[in-house]
Amino acid sequence: MPTQMQADFTLDLRGESCPYPVIYTMDALKDMEKGQLLMVVTDCPSSFRNIPQEIKKSKYCFAQEPIKNGQEFLFYIYA
Amino acid sequence: MKNTFSKVFQHYWNPYTALLLAGLFSALYFGLTGTVWAVTGEFTRLGGHILQFFGVDISNWAYFEMVHMKGTTWTRPDGWIVWGMFIGALVTVLCSNNFKIRIPRQKRRYIQGLVGGIIAGFGARLALGCNLAAFFTGVPQFSIHSWIFIVATGVGTYIGAKISQTRWWKGKPKLSKGNITPTAAKQRMIQPYVGTIIAILYAALIIYFFTSGKPLLGLGALFGAIFGILIERGQICFTSAFRDLWLLRQGLMAKAIIAGMALSSVITIIVIGVYGMSAITQIAAPSTFIGGVLFGLGIVLASSCETGMMYRLMEGQVLYATVFVGNVIGATFLAYAWDHLGIYHTLVASGAKINLVATIGPLGAIIATLLMLGLAYLYVVYRERNGRMTDWKGVKTHANTDAS
Repeated sequence: MPTQMQADFTLDLRGESCPYPVIYTMDALKDMEKGQLLMVVTDCPSSFRNIPQEIKKSKYCFAQEPIKNGQEFLFYIYA
Repeated sequence: MKNTFSKVFQHYWNPYTALLLAGLFSALYFGLTGTVWAVTGEFTRLGGHILQFFGVDISNWAYFEMVHMKGTTWTRPDGWIVWGMFIGALVTVLCSNNFKIRIPRQKRRYIQGLVGGIIAGFGARLALGCNLAAFFTGVPQFSIHSWIFIVATGVGTYIGAKISQTRWWKGKPKLSKGNITPTAAKQRMIQPYVGTIIAILYAALIIYFFTSGKPLLGLGALFGAIFGILIERGQICFTSAFRDLWLLRQGLMAKAIIAGMALSSVITIIVIGVYGMSAITQIAAPSTFIGGVLFGLGIVLASSCETGMMYRLMEGQVLYATVFVGNVIGATFLAYAWDHLGIYHTLVASGAKINLVATIGPLGAIIATLLMLGLAYLYVVYRERNGRMTDWKGVKTHANTDAS
């Protein structure tokens, strides 16, 4: 597993179902300052795909490739 | 071998691949059996069986008469479509090591799932289908009711998306400072083995159906499993196709669904022409529109339609058990309201069964259908470029100026 980065904030979305993971992620990023790092932990399978899709279209970017961690995904995103 | 396994199970399939295959197989299923891929009719029958179990006499309920309560769910091809979908989805979830009991942290989700599920189940049966029979497999049957249903679903999902954006509906996530430790991933993987065993047992059952003179059950069980595999691997979600178009300007799922319906329509018209089969037509009436709006509203509130619910439940998402229960309750209540509360007389009786093949001929039917789907596709592209509901709109312009 790649090294764990030091995040400023963490969204623990385990148990949340689609579409809330992607909405919460974008809401959290909006309230953060530019350059801060957000860590997202999600286990909703739909969000494995639609969070990256939404990030790609936004001004935010991934700090590293998404990490598959068993039945969960970890995302590191710069606001 | 290992490579193919990882390609099939480690990544979700492109929605286009999954939906084109679904379109192909649903047209084949029609060609082989004369019936369509559908699920909510069986949900209604399940509700009927539950009522019978509690001693309710449903013999004179018109709706149950219409959907044919014969036999049990195990002796009906429609029943095996449903169970096959559950099993097919479960097998691929296990083979991709993705099963996990996922429990919503916010209790409000259960109520939302139940309420949304009831509204969606009621609406779907009011319109005589769900996103399958009145949508994905309704359009390729050239039944006009499905066109009305699609527009109505658009309206309903838009209202639903508005509601789901409100603070009291959306709820609050758990945001903490700094890092947290993620769940330690297990090294030993047993899920793929369990999945393989279930797949082998289920294949044996299908073979048993075919060899013991029950080919229709065999086809139902086989195609059900295929559809289950496709919806899970493609994460096919009709709810997100609409909702994400309104909320996020994401049109991928909607475009893939349209492509699947176009392919299915072309194959179906050939099947109808070659084998002289007649298309399956449902009544188009005020109930179709009202049912479609309710269905659209319900699926967004519940976060899933009747098919999406099936694979999500198999992923271990506990929330969707309440959606399933809600769907059955809603469908059963509609069956009651149909004659007991006069729904048929006020909303359905004035309608008519209109089929494009019968009214404008096979060539006209396929041209009109492809034209309609083409326009729908253009509308999705338009929506992708214009307007979104969420309050992080305008982000796109920053992205362009930042050029990071």
